[in-house]
Amino acid sequence: MNKIKDICRKKCVSFSFILRIVMIISLILAIWRKDYVWVAGTFIGIFISILPSILKRDTKFTLPWVLDFLIALVTILHMGGRLLDFYYTIENYQIVTRFFISILVAFIGLAMIYVLDEHWDGLKMDKYAMGFVTVVFTISIGVFLEFIKFINITGTYYVRSNHVLMLNLSADMVAGIVIAIIGVNLIKSGRFDKITDEFGNQIDKMVIDKLENRNRNKKINKGQ
Amino acid sequence: MDKSILRTIGIIISYVLKIIMIIFLFISIWKLFWIWIFGCILALIVSFVPTILKRNYQITLPLVLEILITIALILHVGGGLLGAYGITHYDTLTHFVSSFLVAFLAFVVIYILDEYWDGLIMDKYALAFLVVITTIAMGVVWEFNEWITDILFGTHEQWGYDDTIKDLFIDMIAGLVMAFIGVAMIKRGSFDELTEDLGEQIDKLIIKSNKDETKK
Repeated sequence: MNKIKDICRKKCVSFSFILRIVMIISLILAIWRKDYVWVAGTFIGIFISILPSILKRDTKFTLPWVLDFLIALVTILHMGGRLLDFYYTIENYQIVTRFFISILVAFIGLAMIYVLDEHWDGLKMDKYAMGFVTVVFTISIGVFLEFIKFINITGTYYVRSNHVLMLNLSADMVAGIVIAIIGVNLIKSGRFDKITDEFGNQIDKMVIDKLENRNRNKKINKGQ
Repeated sequence: MDKSILRTIGIIISYVLKIIMIIFLFISIWKLFWIWIFGCILALIVSFVPTILKRNYQITLPLVLEILITIALILHVGGGLLGAYGITHYDTLTHFVSSFLVAFLAFVVIYILDEYWDGLIMDKYALAFLVVITTIAMGVVWEFNEWITDILFGTHEQWGYDDTIKDLFIDMIAGLVMAFIGVAMIKRGSFDELTEDLGEQIDKLIIKSNKDETKK
């Protein structure tokens, strides 16, 4: 049994390693194409991917493979769109990419809420309320993405059409609902806890505990 | 100022707004604007919902909410009937008021759930964040409604890409404004006073918690 676990762990690590190489290639390509929104997006993706390793100071410690996989998938889809012009040659390619970006955002959102619910005194939430928050979080991040496109600081060309905007927002909402349904079921079965347990504990030690201690000390000082 | 005086002023404002709505109804009948006759009647029914809720179901909505609902309706009906939508930024103003109403409603609902429901305990800043993202999401749902209406009935509810982005931006600003006001009110304890009656009534009717034992 331990052997099987060991093989799985090794394969998982190598799979994550391959996915990270894909992300780094994507970052280089993004810089080459001067697509700075993509540069920022890929950089955030790589940062999220290696965050657990930084926190634990252990390169073998990885994120749940689903998250690594989603980050790499989104990166690959966007690379295809920009490098091979799939955004213009394949119908609805852009909506598919947007849908997976939103799936990634929704997953991160749900994981964040779950970790805070488990480790922070400032939040205790029923699982269905978590599902609702996941949906509204995904939609609002989608709106922020549209604001960034609208401001267009980087000068990258985006299709400015109301129809495309509404389709993008629809993709965000559907992705949010999909992850909310899957997430609530995973929470019910206890599997979501396993996915986020180790990462949640690290966040708890590194951030939440420190903040709570600081607030406690402030209150004590005020009392004196 | 004394609370009872504030409440009296609020009630007077609420009645004045309803009278304005009735005047709008007469203007639409006089001009035979059928769509606005229907609009005014619908708006009047909606603005009397708080009174009906209080009389028949003993549910007391906060007076601020009642006034906000009536102002949003008056701005929309008045804009269409008197052609005020042609005035620069009038549409922005009406959208802001509607979004602020949604944000206020979201704040009230989440605050009451936080106070009475075991399934939700939230820090006030987390609550404010949730109100902002809920307001944005409701704005998106509203845009979906307009988009689908345009596709199905060939109307022009949405004026184009720039206008939709502007509407979503206003939703965000309204959510932020409400979040700041709400947090300040929670800190002072006045939001609790504002929602106490409604909270207790909803608790009795729907949540059925034992607040004193569970939360306090």
